[in-house]
Amino acid sequence: MKVTALSLEQTPPLSVPLRFFLTAPVFVVAAAIVLLWHGHAALDSRWTPPLLAATHFLTLGFLTMIMAGAIQQLLPVLMASPVPRPRLTSAVIHLALTLGTLSLGAGMLTGKGGLFLGALVVLGAGLIFFVLMVMFCLFQARSSHATVFVMGLAVIALLVTAGLGILLAAGHGLNSVPLFRTLTDLHLLWGMLGWVGLLVIGVAYQVVPMFQLTPNYPGLLMRWLPRILFAGLSIWGMGLLFPEERKWLQWIGGGGVVGSFAAFSFMTLRLQQQRRRRLSDINIDFWRLALVCLLAAMGLWTAQGFLQLPQTELLLGVLLVAGFAMSVVSGMLYKIVPFLVWLHLNNYMQATGRWGEQIPNMKQILPSQRSRLQFWLQFSALLLLLLAAVWPGPFIRPAALTMLAAFSLLWWNLLDGLRLYYRYIGAGEEG
Amino acid sequence: MKIDDAENGQSFLDVSDLEPPEPLVRVLARIDSLESGQYLHVRHHREPCLLYPNLEKRGFDYLSCGNDAYFHIFIWRKDDAEAERAVRAAIGELCQG
Repeated sequence: MKVTALSLEQTPPLSVPLRFFLTAPVFVVAAAIVLLWHGHAALDSRWTPPLLAATHFLTLGFLTMIMAGAIQQLLPVLMASPVPRPRLTSAVIHLALTLGTLSLGAGMLTGKGGLFLGALVVLGAGLIFFVLMVMFCLFQARSSHATVFVMGLAVIALLVTAGLGILLAAGHGLNSVPLFRTLTDLHLLWGMLGWVGLLVIGVAYQVVPMFQLTPNYPGLLMRWLPRILFAGLSIWGMGLLFPEERKWLQWIGGGGVVGSFAAFSFMTLRLQQQRRRRLSDINIDFWRLALVCLLAAMGLWTAQGFLQLPQTELLLGVLLVAGFAMSVVSGMLYKIVPFLVWLHLNNYMQATGRWGEQIPNMKQILPSQRSRLQFWLQFSALLLLLLAAVWPGPFIRPAALTMLAAFSLLWWNLLDGLRLYYRYIGAGEEG
Repeated sequence: MKIDDAENGQSFLDVSDLEPPEPLVRVLARIDSLESGQYLHVRHHREPCLLYPNLEKRGFDYLSCGNDAYFHIFIWRKDDAEAERAVRAAIGELCQG
């Protein structure tokens, strides 16, 4: 009846995930500065250099940065599959993501081919190394939880996204490579709905029941939803490659994708209704905001033929990136960071034999009042961004300014949690 | 959370409606008061993997099992044969061997 226990030693050092978590909000600040600087001209079309740069600061610099850090934490703790040489591995991936994203953003803003080439080499190598590392660990995983399979699909989607991104960056940076603009939609599809969407689903299977005290997701849904979503993405993607067959492939594939995300959203909202403790929780608020945005995006995509809105593409982008993905990620940071700080303090006390000493609880590590203020700032930034997608003139700069404030506060909140950790460790060593 | 103390050498702690890391904190706060022949029965909504190495380092032994609704963990001081016998009897009834 005794099961194999996870070893505390399998928890990677705190620096492994936190280097990613603390870098990520800085990229949102960078995106906000780009939008502030260029104003409404950034939203003239989806192809403007400032919009492309800001979007990649958000998707690579914020979302992928945090997801890469979180995966390196989840692999050993939830899947019992430690990352080999975690400090070195995380340092290499972190450096490649940071430098590569900066180089890509700078290339988009200045149009200099050398910066695109730099991004292509650094980001390409870093992401391929990351995907191979995750695949290796997933094959070693001792857990048979559905998350293992979904995470595998998510990193395949990341590989496809990165491959298409490399082709697009080469098109910008090398005269000998043509720029295939049609690949952009495919790049977007696999990046946002594949890599980000699948990973959120796979992680939700574990963290929603664990941290929000809900019942588990139904086994049938856990098993089939990612498969239908992945098949839908593949069919939709083929539709983008073969224009003659585009319409029906897009509707079948898109139908599978929209249906999967809708099922995931409704099921998660329903599980949250059934949670065992109904206390106010910033994590739940972020999740609900994210799921409402995901449903709105799916609804807008389905109804776009009837609505004929010229701003549909921008609105979809804002709903999926800022509304869905960034809200989920911020919400999870408010659970994961205090938990990790607590866990490492507990391990430290354990290792030094100081069992009787009190360590701060989650609410003391990240006070709710400041988290709530940050939530409202992020929510306001989202509303302003949606308005800016329709009326860029009056709204883009207020949106960017609010986003800058929201993510500066997120960064400060996370940093404060880490400072508390070092205060305790320092006090212990002085004592 | 419910606590039923000292009934046939058993303490009971229900942490099934607490979010991480509260279950671990509550269990670690309780086990120090276990006396010879006593064990702690913890009811949880999931398997608490982080608890086990904490118990081992502090000199406690444990057995765990799950039934349909909950996960049950029984904790006693290492080398306390009387408590271990009581645990084995209790866990057999609860999780059918």
